[in-house]
Amino acid sequence: MSERSGYRGYVASRDVRGQRWPQHVQNVVIRDYCAREKLPYLLSVAEYAMEGCYMNLSTVLDELPRIEGIAMFSLFMLPQRPERRQAVYERVLGAGASLHGALEGTGLTSAADIARIEDTFALEGITQRAAGF
Amino acid sequence: MSVTQSIASSPAGLSPAEPIRRYDAGFFDPDEQALIDTFLRDGHVIVPVENQACIERIRDHVAISAADALDLPRPNYPDAFLNRIHCQVDGKGLNPVRLAVIQALNGADWLRHTYYRLVRQTLATLVGNELAMQRRVNLSIQLPDDDSSLLSVHADSWDGDSPFEVVVWVPLVDCYRSKSMYLLPPAKQAEIEAEWQRFDGQDTEALFRAIEPHVTYLDVPFGTALVFSQNLMHGNRVNAEPETRWTMNCRFKAALSPYADKRLGEFFEPITLRPATRLGMAYKLPDSFDE
Repeated sequence: MSERSGYRGYVASRDVRGQRWPQHVQNVVIRDYCAREKLPYLLSVAEYAMEGCYMNLSTVLDELPRIEGIAMFSLFMLPQRPERRQAVYERVLGAGASLHGALEGTGLTSAADIARIEDTFALEGITQRAAGF
Repeated sequence: MSVTQSIASSPAGLSPAEPIRRYDAGFFDPDEQALIDTFLRDGHVIVPVENQACIERIRDHVAISAADALDLPRPNYPDAFLNRIHCQVDGKGLNPVRLAVIQALNGADWLRHTYYRLVRQTLATLVGNELAMQRRVNLSIQLPDDDSSLLSVHADSWDGDSPFEVVVWVPLVDCYRSKSMYLLPPAKQAEIEAEWQRFDGQDTEALFRAIEPHVTYLDVPFGTALVFSQNLMHGNRVNAEPETRWTMNCRFKAALSPYADKRLGEFFEPITLRPATRLGMAYKLPDSFDE
């Protein structure tokens, strides 16, 4: 079995929490996070711009047996549907890998992290609605 | 009706043998019209570079930069040196070489206008004569049998590029079969996009398998340039040929056409603004009078 190495960068081609981020800026944030956390960075893949499309995330999940994890620009790039997010968590943890959100500076390294991330998603939904967005 | 059909085909009810004359036919020379028709039909053209000295200058600069990065003597035969670089470095050692060459390339103040001169007339015909050019020229190196430098299927328009852009893809060695890139023709692209929902929840490999029978691996010899629409799906696979691929790519668009995420200033720069546009940008109406 070959050695697993590195964290695959994953950047957005559409809004993240209502904001547009240039991809080179997203990559700077990811590289900075990886450097601080001493995570070997692997060149990013960009998700397609079509809403609701996660084809490149699926491709990175397929890559997990060969890499140590995923360094996404933001955890808010995860699918909006909770069951789809749950499937991502299971794929990552099942592969013995980890998932990081560079903008938030946090991530998923064990099952205990799921509730924290999901609570953040839930609160985000409520606060966005309250703000009328 | 697709853009290609609307421009190149006869309307319903007319025989294909009796194409109607386009309203703008008299504004293009016949060779320009032929290039336009080919681009719209195939989504790409492969043309001889317009200045052989320019492409040799770029190729030689890349070869010297690679040799310097590897602490090797400067090559007498840059073509053979680049094609056989895998005899000097493996996939793991390639990245520092790649970064050094990219830095040397983009650090050369002559690079971008030299690159533009490779396809100046082709761009004038296909894009316009008042252009914006990507600020950094990209370099791709693919060693034989190396799976670490692959670009999965994509269309740049899906990744934040404007659909008004074209890619100028320039080989520094002969590129053919898997040593080259593949491109999906416009007609097949339209078919795939029409049934796009069936790819929901799938990965890019599933998308590639769906288009694989229809893609074309483009033969692009050294001394020619490929200009393609990056609205079309494209990518590369493992280079199964016995030589290393060295290619460059750079995006161009009409300076005044819409931009997407790759914006003016940070990604693109105007290169050929014309005097009328400069005058127009600077012009202000004199002050108003009181009513």
